[in-house]
Amino acid sequence: MTTILIIVGAIVLVVLVWLVLTYNGLVRLRNEAQQGESSIDIQLKRRADLIPNLVEAVKGYAAHEQEAFERVTAARAHALEARTLGDKAAADGETRSALGGLLAVAEAYPELRAVESFTLLQTELSDTEDKIAAARRYYNNVVQRYNTKQQSFPASAIAGTFGFAPREFYRIEDDAERDPVKVEIAG
Amino acid sequence: MTLQEQIRSARMRTVLVLFLFAVLVALVVAAVYVFFGQGFGLIMALVAVGYGIFAYVAAGSIVASASGARPVSKEEAPELYRTVENAAIAAGLAKTPDIYLIDDAAPNAFAAGRTPEKAYVAATTGILALLDRRELEGVMAHEIAHVRNRDVRLMTLAAVMVGVISMIADMLLWATVFGGGRNSNNQNPIGAIIAIAAIILAPIGGALLQMALSRRREYLADATAAELTGDPEGLARALYKLAVDQHPLQHVNRATAHLWIESPLRDHRGLRSSVGGLFDTHPPLQERIDRLQEMGGFQLPPIPAGGAEA
Repeated sequence: MTTILIIVGAIVLVVLVWLVLTYNGLVRLRNEAQQGESSIDIQLKRRADLIPNLVEAVKGYAAHEQEAFERVTAARAHALEARTLGDKAAADGETRSALGGLLAVAEAYPELRAVESFTLLQTELSDTEDKIAAARRYYNNVVQRYNTKQQSFPASAIAGTFGFAPREFYRIEDDAERDPVKVEIAG
Repeated sequence: MTLQEQIRSARMRTVLVLFLFAVLVALVVAAVYVFFGQGFGLIMALVAVGYGIFAYVAAGSIVASASGARPVSKEEAPELYRTVENAAIAAGLAKTPDIYLIDDAAPNAFAAGRTPEKAYVAATTGILALLDRRELEGVMAHEIAHVRNRDVRLMTLAAVMVGVISMIADMLLWATVFGGGRNSNNQNPIGAIIAIAAIILAPIGGALLQMALSRRREYLADATAAELTGDPEGLARALYKLAVDQHPLQHVNRATAHLWIESPLRDHRGLRSSVGGLFDTHPPLQERIDRLQEMGGFQLPPIPAGGAEA
């Protein structure tokens, strides 16, 4: 009798430990994904902060290129308004392609490219693009692990019971993804 | 193997090596028990644990000073800073590790510090001069991978365990030489033979396991680096350049060899491992490049024969 009780008790204990570990694992991954999204936000914000200076710098030499300025400014506004991950990614793609247009304009003015403050801005921008890409890779890696864990049996039972929802990947849905902005650093 | 498969395989092999380590420690403990019985065995265990803790704590502050590294500012090395920052973001580290520079023409880099918060990475001036941006990104991602995978702590622990095992083995050997242990005459002879074998073989086995662990973690760091940058070819190109490079590193120290991107010990660099390469801290560069090629689907020319000889 006691032997059976001990065996049952041991099984219950193992199941409980497994439950706690799996639950904590899911929580950890969910928090990491959240942290990954904040990390993307920080870099997107950093890029948005660079844009007004960049526009001013180019305006000084090419004031008539209104369309390029408006596209960048509109994209920046969308990026700052975006709240959901999908909106952020869409605005991110829009900003990339608009910035690509602006820099193409700047290309035509050699005297602008010789200005030190402008080359500094370009370096900063190219660095920020790299950091957005890095933050995105981290986020998508974590989301992949989180979603896989949550969908595989038997962890899926816990995920279902405690309301762990799958997260979406951060995807940029336009051409800019396949052909990233080329920011050439002068000199 | 794909990238994810390589990461999984490296993790599983790490567990295997750690398991063998545990078996080794159990063997040594058994040997102590056979030779000295419970009472003295307990005292020896306390001494060993005390020594282990002391060695672990002391190991923390050795590396930077031993390698001649100095902190560097972002203005001084902007490219290095950016690549480290990017890798740290991609690894999801809470903070970018401190960055050190070593004035040495030999191209190399290492990571140190036992927790990600206290971690730092160092690069030689030689590696900054040798590599282009893409290659440097791969190398610094490899170092950040060591930080994220907690390799410094793991390898420090391994080194301390080997130290403790050697110490106990030495003590047992002395005890055997000077008349044997108190209990040895009333134990069965088979137990005594196993105990003596354990004394002699344990330190060698420990060192072998330590090196095997180091090589596993190198492969893992390479795979993680490829994941962080999304560009296995960048790291492979860097390793290729390192293999062909001729500069010997100045501040070389066997104790810290496992920290570097490639083995700083000239004799241990080889193309393919000779004598099995059992005592090497790093896998041969050609094999590391081969694995990166496998996960990235690209092809570099093979390292020219004699390329790694000084």
